[in-house]
Amino acid sequence: MNEGQIVLENVTKNFGGLVAVEPINFEIKAGEFLAIMGSSGCGKTTTLRMLAGLETPSSGEIRLNGERMNELKAHERETPLVWQTLALFPFLNVIENVEFGLKMRGVEKPERTVRALKWLKRMEIEQFANRSIDQLSGGQRQRVALARALVTEPPVLLLDEPLSALDANLVVRMQSVLTRLQKELGITFVYVTHSQSEAFAMADRVVIMSAGVIEQIGSPREIYRSPASRFVAEFVGTNNIISGNIKEIKGNTMIFNTAFGTIESKQEDRNTRHQEGNDVELVISADMIELSQEHTFSENEIQLQFVAEEFTGSVVTLYFEDANKNELIVQKQQREIEPLELTYGCQIFAHWDPINVFCLPDAKTE
Amino acid sequence: MMVNDKSIVWILKIYLLIIFVFIFMPIITSVVFSFNSDRFPSLPLGHFTWNWYDKVYYDPETWDAIRTSIIVALSASVLATIIGFCTAYTDFRYNFRFKNAYLALALLPPTIPLIILALAMLAWFSKLGISGQIWALIIAHTVLGAPFAMAIIRLRLQQIDKDLESAAWNLGASEWATMRHVIIPFALPSIISALCLTMAVSFDEFAIAWFVSGLNKSVPVVILEILQGNIDPQINAIGSFVFATTMTLVVIAQLFLFTKKPNNH
Repeated sequence: MNEGQIVLENVTKNFGGLVAVEPINFEIKAGEFLAIMGSSGCGKTTTLRMLAGLETPSSGEIRLNGERMNELKAHERETPLVWQTLALFPFLNVIENVEFGLKMRGVEKPERTVRALKWLKRMEIEQFANRSIDQLSGGQRQRVALARALVTEPPVLLLDEPLSALDANLVVRMQSVLTRLQKELGITFVYVTHSQSEAFAMADRVVIMSAGVIEQIGSPREIYRSPASRFVAEFVGTNNIISGNIKEIKGNTMIFNTAFGTIESKQEDRNTRHQEGNDVELVISADMIELSQEHTFSENEIQLQFVAEEFTGSVVTLYFEDANKNELIVQKQQREIEPLELTYGCQIFAHWDPINVFCLPDAKTE
Repeated sequence: MMVNDKSIVWILKIYLLIIFVFIFMPIITSVVFSFNSDRFPSLPLGHFTWNWYDKVYYDPETWDAIRTSIIVALSASVLATIIGFCTAYTDFRYNFRFKNAYLALALLPPTIPLIILALAMLAWFSKLGISGQIWALIIAHTVLGAPFAMAIIRLRLQQIDKDLESAAWNLGASEWATMRHVIIPFALPSIISALCLTMAVSFDEFAIAWFVSGLNKSVPVVILEILQGNIDPQINAIGSFVFATTMTLVVIAQLFLFTKKPNNH
C-alpha cells in the first residue's frame, strides 16, 4: 500500500450542534509543503488542531504512516505546532523555551543545551539565548517559536498562521526562511493561512476550504489558473466570472454565448459533463487579458470603455465596461499600460487566449 | 476632568488628609505609647522606654499566643492557597453547568458576618469533637482565607495565553507535567501573594479565633484578654508587633501582585 504520510479519511468535527468540518478526505505526502487556505471559520484551524491531537475528530480516521492516530493524546504525538500567538512561555528565557520539548521527553540537561543551541544557531538567534522573551522583536520571537517546535526533529511541522502578526516586509523574509528550512529538512510542513500570497508563495499544494468543505486541492498554479468552483474563482486572485451558455462543442474547443458576445475556450481536459445548451460560468483571470489600441483580430476580442482604476504599487487594476455596461476587470503592471495612454472614457480593445478561459465544472443551478 | 478652582483642590486635599489621620492616628498613637514610660496613655509623654516590650518578651503567655498564631497562620495559609489554586484552576480550565453557582459558593465565606461564621464553626467543631484544638482554628482560618487566595490566583490565570497550555501538550508535556512546568510557574507570583495575604488574614483574625481557639489562644485573643483585665501599655507593644507583621505580609503580597505583570505584547 502506498498512501501518503498523513491521511485524513472522512474526518468530521462537530462542536455541539455546530459542524466545523464536514467529511473531508485528503492525503499529505512526506516532505510536502501543504497549505490549507480559507477565510476564518472555514475549518482550516480545526483540521490542523485535529492533526496535532488538540481536537478529536467526531468521526473518520486520521493516519500517520499508516497508523491510526485518532486516540493518541496531543503529548504522545510528534506533530509540533507553531502557534499564531506563538505561545512562547513568558517565564522561561529563549533557550529554556527551545529546550522545553526535549525536557518533556526526558533528555538530560547537557544534551538539551547542545541541541537547543544548535537550533538557535540555525535560526540565527544564538546571541539571544539567555534573553527573556519580552526583550525580543516579533521576527526574533518567530524564530524562537520555530526552533522550539523543530528541536525534537519531528517528521511533520504544523503551522497555524504563524506570520499573521508580522509586518509586511518581515512576512516576505520569513516566507523565504520557511521555504528554505522545509527544503533543507525535507520534512512535511502543514501550513494554515487565510493569506493567498503566503500559501501560493510557499506551498507545493494548496487545500482550499470553505464552510468545512474542501473546495479544491491542487498546486498554486492549478488553483490560480483553473479554479474548480465559483468560490475558489472569487477567493483567489482577481477573476472575471462571466455567465454564459454553451453554443457549440468541437473537441477541446467550446464556444459560449455571453453578454460580451461569443467567447471561445480551449482546454486540454475538457469536463465531459458539459453539454451544448447548458448554462455555465466562465472564469477569465484579470491578468490574462491583453489590451491594445487597435484591432488585433484575435478569437476573443471586445471593445471596451475605460471607467476606473485602482493603483496599488506596481500592479494596477483597471475597470472597463462594454456598450451594455457589463464590467470587465484587467490587472496589469504599471509599466505595461503606460504606452496605452489610458484616459477615463477612452475606447480600447481587450482580447485573451482561449486557453485562459475556464468553464466552472458545475453547471449553473440558479 | 480638570478641576480648575483652586479652593476645590485644597478642600479635597484636606479631606484626604483627614481620612488618613482617622485611619492611621489610632495606630500611630498605639505605637508611640508603646515606647512611653507612663502607666496610663496621657499627654504630655513621659520618657522613652523598652519596658513594655520587655514585659511582653518575658511573658510566657504572649509567647504561647505568638507560637499558636504562627502555626495557625502558616498551616492555614498553605491550605487556603492550595484550595484557592485548585478552585481558580477549575474555573480557568473547565466549563460546566452551574459554574457560576460554584464560583459564588467558593467566594461566599467572606460575605458571612464573622460572628455568625464563628458561632457556626463552634457548633460544628463541637459536634466533631475537635473544638478547642489547634486544628479547629487552622480549619476555620483556611475556610476564611481560601476565597481570597482563589480571587488572587484567578486574576493571574485569567491573564494566561490560553494557547500556553496546549503548546505544552503539543511539545510532549502530559497534563501533570504541564501543571508543574507551565501553570504553576506562570501563577507563582500570585501564589506567593496569596500565601502572604491569607497568612495576614489568619494572623489578625479575632472573632472566629475567640470562639474556637479554646486554650490555644492566638495573639488577638490574648490582646483582648489583657484589655479586659487591665489597661496595660503592653497591649500597645503587642499591637505594634501585630501591625508590623501584618503590614509586612500585605506589602509583600502587593509587591508580587503588582510588580510582576505578565508580558503584554
